[in-house]
Amino acid sequence: MSTTTKAVDMQIPLGAQHISLLEPVKFTFTTQNEKIVDVGSDVGFVHRGVEHACSSKFEFKQVGFVVARICGLCAITHSMCYTAGVEKLLDAQVTQKAKYLRTLLIELDRIHSHMLCLSHTCENAGFEAMFMSLMGDREPVMGLQEAITGNRVQFDYITIGGVTREFDAQTAQKIIQVLGQTQKKIEGYIEEFQNNWSLSKKFEGIGALSPEGAYEYNAIGPLARACGLQVDVRNGLDYLPYKEVGFTTITQTGGDIHARNMVRLYEILNSIKMCRNIVEGLPEGEIQTKVRGKPQGEVITRLEAPRGELMYYLKGENKKVLDRVRIKTPTFATIPAMIEIFKGQDYADAPAILASFDPCLSCTAK
Amino acid sequence: MFKLKNFRKRSLWILHYNAGSCNGCDIEILACLGPTYDLERFGVLNRGNPKQSDMLLITGPVTYRSRERVVELFTQMPEPKVVVAVGSCTCTGGVFSGMYNVEDGVDKYIPVDVYIPGCAATPEYIIDGVLKGLELLEHKSKEIVKPKKLFKKLSFHKDHIDRRGIAGKVGENDGKD
Ligand code: SF4
Repeated sequence: MSTTTKAVDMQIPLGAQHISLLEPVKFTFTTQNEKIVDVGSDVGFVHRGVEHACSSKFEFKQVGFVVARICGLCAITHSMCYTAGVEKLLDAQVTQKAKYLRTLLIELDRIHSHMLCLSHTCENAGFEAMFMSLMGDREPVMGLQEAITGNRVQFDYITIGGVTREFDAQTAQKIIQVLGQTQKKIEGYIEEFQNNWSLSKKFEGIGALSPEGAYEYNAIGPLARACGLQVDVRNGLDYLPYKEVGFTTITQTGGDIHARNMVRLYEILNSIKMCRNIVEGLPEGEIQTKVRGKPQGEVITRLEAPRGELMYYLKGENKKVLDRVRIKTPTFATIPAMIEIFKGQDYADAPAILASFDPCLSCTAK
Repeated sequence: MFKLKNFRKRSLWILHYNAGSCNGCDIEILACLGPTYDLERFGVLNRGNPKQSDMLLITGPVTYRSRERVVELFTQMPEPKVVVAVGSCTCTGGVFSGMYNVEDGVDKYIPVDVYIPGCAATPEYIIDGVLKGLELLEHKSKEIVKPKKLFKKLSFHKDHIDRRGIAGKVGENDGKD
């Protein structure tokens, strides 16, 4: 065949509504014979205006519950990050027990969020049975969250000054038991993800990002850790006792879809270990302390959400309503890296790559 | 003679669209389709294709940019169809009501048959709602249901209704905005 055919740029849209997407986002891929050469993205479909409402309509005591509604998957990280900021402004003291309970819930949330992402990856790889099995094994964790907080998704558990509930010995027993079960299951999945062709070999080298690229394009969260970068906000947090409960940073090398999956799986194991340590070593004490006053000054807080670093900037002027609430969400920061990864990949791999980022558009657009 | 109605009752296909929700209700819908709650035992399948779906599960308070898409998806679905609004913010705007970029509730744009409350709506509620919608579907006719806003004239293509592009652009038809 002659090779003089001119390569034609084709534009293929993905979204706003697409079967492999949970949320509306629109990507426009420019392709040349199946290869993606350029990507445009449009993420604003779910913009609601939460930031503005937080600094005009709601009082600072209510905002913690409003920001939780930015994202259902990392609701608790949003309210925690906000509450930590307000507590710093108010100079509030939180008991050790409340801190432990907060950490417990954040880690449980991470477990279920990562499991959802992994099952989504399986679905996009065409492995429906694995999707179902992961979804099934995720339910006991959701059950735990319901047992502790009273709700499956929107916990509204963290308030300024502490947490709303504590659990009894019976629930503690159940938590330990379910965590043990889940750990066994996850160990099985690790083996499956490493050896099953449709999950590992197929994905090796696909959607890869080099450590330099990750650094340059500001990758965070599992995306950066899959490239071998030691990026985890939990390392240096002063308001949550991560050091005491046995946190370790998980990294992998390769930076491809496979490595991202492995980071998530090992992080689940680490989270399970932390949760167990928390339940077994829960300190005595009150769960709520009274907090007085109105926020005054500026503060920046950070927290590691399941998808990467979450950052809040708060500014108060000694009024009931805050002056400014600025939220920087993980997916927003990873978009440049995402676009870089897409370039040069096959179009057919696009949904799988997209799922491996675990993007959260309702976070991004707020 | 096929009794199409009977078949439809046992094989409901749903279309799910997120019109600005927080994902909370979306993951609960996903959990419903998973093995624990197993909505599939009623023959319910999630297919992201409006032209083959009987039920529109919609979440979120309808942001300004998703309005046209909601109406477009709704008009592309063939009758009979039911619309189920999942979650408090879909029914009334919920916590987002009054924010500058949202409409309070999806029923300003399209007629809703079943409202499921809860923030987030629990899987049990969602299953109940979907089954309720299934009951309603039996009594629906093939008559064309019009969305409440953003609706252009029906155009015909060789006796068939041409469903593409029926949804108007925001600001074209309704005086508001
Ligand atoms: S009802 Fe609540 S949980 Fe459901 S989408 Fe709306 S804000 Fe999220």
